[in-house]
Amino acid sequence: MNEAGRLHAATWAWWALAAVVTVQLAPNPTYVAVVVAISVLVVETHAPDGGLARAFPLVLAVAVLFVGVRVVLEGLTTHPATGDVLVRLPAFTLPVILGGFTVGGTVHATVLLRAATDGFLIVGVVAPFAAFNAVVSHHELVRSAPRAFHELGLVLTVALTFVPSTLAAIAAVREADRARTGGRSVRRGRLLRVAVPILESGMERAMHLAESMDARGFGRLGPDAPERAAGWLAFGGLICLAGTFVALVGRARTVATALALTATAAVAAAVAVASRASRRPRHRARRPTRADALAAAFTTVAPVAVAWLAFVGEPTLRWRIGTEPLPGFDPLVVLAFAPLAIPAVGRPRLARASPEAVA
Amino acid sequence: MIAVDYRSVAVHYPGSGAPALAGVDLPVATGEVLLVTGPSGSGKSTLLRLANGLVPHSSGGRLAGDVVTFDRSIRAHRPRDLADVVGFVHQDPEAQFVVDRVEADVAFVLENLGTDPVVMRRRVEEALDALGVAHLRHRSPTTLSAGERQRCAIAGALAAAPACLVLDEPTSQLDPQGADDVLASVTRLNADLGTTVLLAEHRLERAAPLADRAVVVDAGRVGLPGPPEAVLTTYPGAPEVTHLGALLGWDPPPLTVRQAQAALRRHGRPPGHPPPDAERAPGEMLLGGLGIQVHLGGRVVLRDAALVAHRGEVVVLMGRNGSGKTTLLRILAGLLEPRRGTVDRRGTVAYLPQDPNLLLFAPTVRDELRETLRLLGRDDPAAIDATLERFSLASISHRHPRSLSGGERQRVAIAAVAIGAPDVLLLDEPTRGIDAASRDALEAALSAHLAAGGAAVVATHDVELAARIATRAVVLGDGEVVAAGPARRVLSGSLFAPQVLRVVPPFLTVAEVAVAVAAPDGHAW
Repeated sequence: MNEAGRLHAATWAWWALAAVVTVQLAPNPTYVAVVVAISVLVVETHAPDGGLARAFPLVLAVAVLFVGVRVVLEGLTTHPATGDVLVRLPAFTLPVILGGFTVGGTVHATVLLRAATDGFLIVGVVAPFAAFNAVVSHHELVRSAPRAFHELGLVLTVALTFVPSTLAAIAAVREADRARTGGRSVRRGRLLRVAVPILESGMERAMHLAESMDARGFGRLGPDAPERAAGWLAFGGLICLAGTFVALVGRARTVATALALTATAAVAAAVAVASRASRRPRHRARRPTRADALAAAFTTVAPVAVAWLAFVGEPTLRWRIGTEPLPGFDPLVVLAFAPLAIPAVGRPRLARASPEAVA
Repeated sequence: MIAVDYRSVAVHYPGSGAPALAGVDLPVATGEVLLVTGPSGSGKSTLLRLANGLVPHSSGGRLAGDVVTFDRSIRAHRPRDLADVVGFVHQDPEAQFVVDRVEADVAFVLENLGTDPVVMRRRVEEALDALGVAHLRHRSPTTLSAGERQRCAIAGALAAAPACLVLDEPTSQLDPQGADDVLASVTRLNADLGTTVLLAEHRLERAAPLADRAVVVDAGRVGLPGPPEAVLTTYPGAPEVTHLGALLGWDPPPLTVRQAQAALRRHGRPPGHPPPDAERAPGEMLLGGLGIQVHLGGRVVLRDAALVAHRGEVVVLMGRNGSGKTTLLRILAGLLEPRRGTVDRRGTVAYLPQDPNLLLFAPTVRDELRETLRLLGRDDPAAIDATLERFSLASISHRHPRSLSGGERQRVAIAAVAIGAPDVLLLDEPTRGIDAASRDALEAALSAHLAAGGAAVVATHDVELAARIATRAVVLGDGEVVAAGPARRVLSGSLFAPQVLRVVPPFLTVAEVAVAVAAPDGHAW
């Protein structure tokens, strides 16, 4: 089994960025739904078994939950002077120290719609990144990054693998809890019964992994002189960045600009010095192929086309709530989104799980 | 030359009164295969983890004496400093994969050692080939079967061409074929490359013949090392043929089926015959599944599977890794709905999952048992004491379950399920990684459960366990029932038949031979 058809992690990062830019340029819910659908298609066709694919629906669910919370909060706290009142609720005004605004009272349909539309845009932004997370090999991404980031990137990659394993553990522990009593479900103390073994198993797994990394020589080479220099440069850069914020608060714009430039230069120099200094060779670092270049090129077409449509004043890109009863729709705009789906077309030959891993 | 030299070693873990290991003086020669065995929690893992300094550098604790591995003292060298000479494979291979692609994970150690990319490329290919996993190179470890995972983990430890390979129970999760594959790979590494191997194992029937020397660790004390034939003869966890040889007075007792067959030719067949097979237990049906079909992850996991358990019988469910045993148990337990087929439960059913850690959350072993009773709305301190006694857990009833060894945890989990006194016990790999004493305790508990009118379905790879406990056996292959019937009939036709059956058919167990020898005319049955 080979990895034919698998796109490079950097290509998927570019795709996610392009999708997010496109959806920001066209926040009409119809077009946001198109981007969400393309993200689902990408996960369906490209997510390998056992990856973070299982987390994709969960991330989307969290985003939708966030939208729900936002709609409720805005509905209860935003009270325009005019508009279509949906319902009147008991109202109370918070003390001035807590903002002094009124909670409850009139709930306006326009406010709810606007909150839902803005929230849905967030789902449209989250979906491509969640899809990127599901389809990409994080380790490959780390290998594509400057070498200075390798150690840190690896630690983050390892931390990410806990997401799917914890999801699986939650299901297994709940099942074991039920199995122990012959299917009798007891609610009292359930959170503790589920949380403790998951946390303990997670801690144990983390310790085993740390042992495994140690036993396999991780961190053995240690920092050399240029890496130490890079560390100090990065530290200096961060200090300058902190100074920039202080200068901005004090409205000293010239100083802030100078400090920001110095910080950027110091961090860039740190990355360059550390990457050149790294003695850590890589095994078969995978380079982007022609398919990657083509996919990236097609992907770029979408934000460019939508930006052009925005420039020429395409009216359906935004939904004017209050003046238009429904969001607009133009097939030409959907056509401009289509290139985002092109990377999803070539289904890679994905390695299938062994029967036992499924059973 | 000495590869690993244990010099007057003692290890004390914090909060534990007795030392985990004491008075260990053990030189391991270069190119030697040393088999380490002993009861659960006896200190085997500690002994192995000392070889590359995981004890005390990772585990904490106080080390007295010293361990010198290829002239490097673990007092002065951390595990990462010994990564070029010691490859370590953890008991649970899943816990040691760092990277989400097999090939990249195998290369991990070489990247850390700063190996030249050209050499690295060759070493990775060689390690993948040595373990026969080159075709899995692009797979994520989470999608592999247990046997594949274990072999990939060994490839990861092997890539740096270490002079010493340390394996902590590498076959505990594998089916007989998978265990054979892994041990054959280890044997080849030892023979072809002269790799020193430290191997901890409970399942000695396969591991013992490979070892140059064996050593038994018991309660932190390391016995005198010697040839496996000499050291294991009196060990309770010795292969079944060794016990058979001891019973029949064969001297020296055999260690392998081949040796036992040779001894049989010299000494002649024992008198008597085994008890007749019952087609099924006399009791009424307690649990039955018929025509079960299950699809998971777009794959047919079970097709038209059937299993019935009657009062007073143990049905053993066998089959290679991934054949659908766990899925069938989960269906029978009501934790999974079949796409097609029916399950008839006429009594209470409790299920023990493969990973005992999923059940353990109470602060002590006693509380763990009390929790099951509490969930069932009962309070019965006498039952807790009796169960602790039955599973040999009384001496550790105050301990935190997570602080116990793998075998002890397994026993606690089984006890926590059994104390609810369900009519049918569904046990998934209950002897995985447990020692002979724990296995005996489990078998005794199962006998008591049957005597009280219960039934059990046990999924296992352990054919010796199956021979001892099963009244009937069901073998699954690719989700289908490929054989079902009385245990003797089903196990007789298997390539992986129990040892006693291969030496003195149709006897299944040493106990059957003992009864027949005592009453050769068959009246005992």
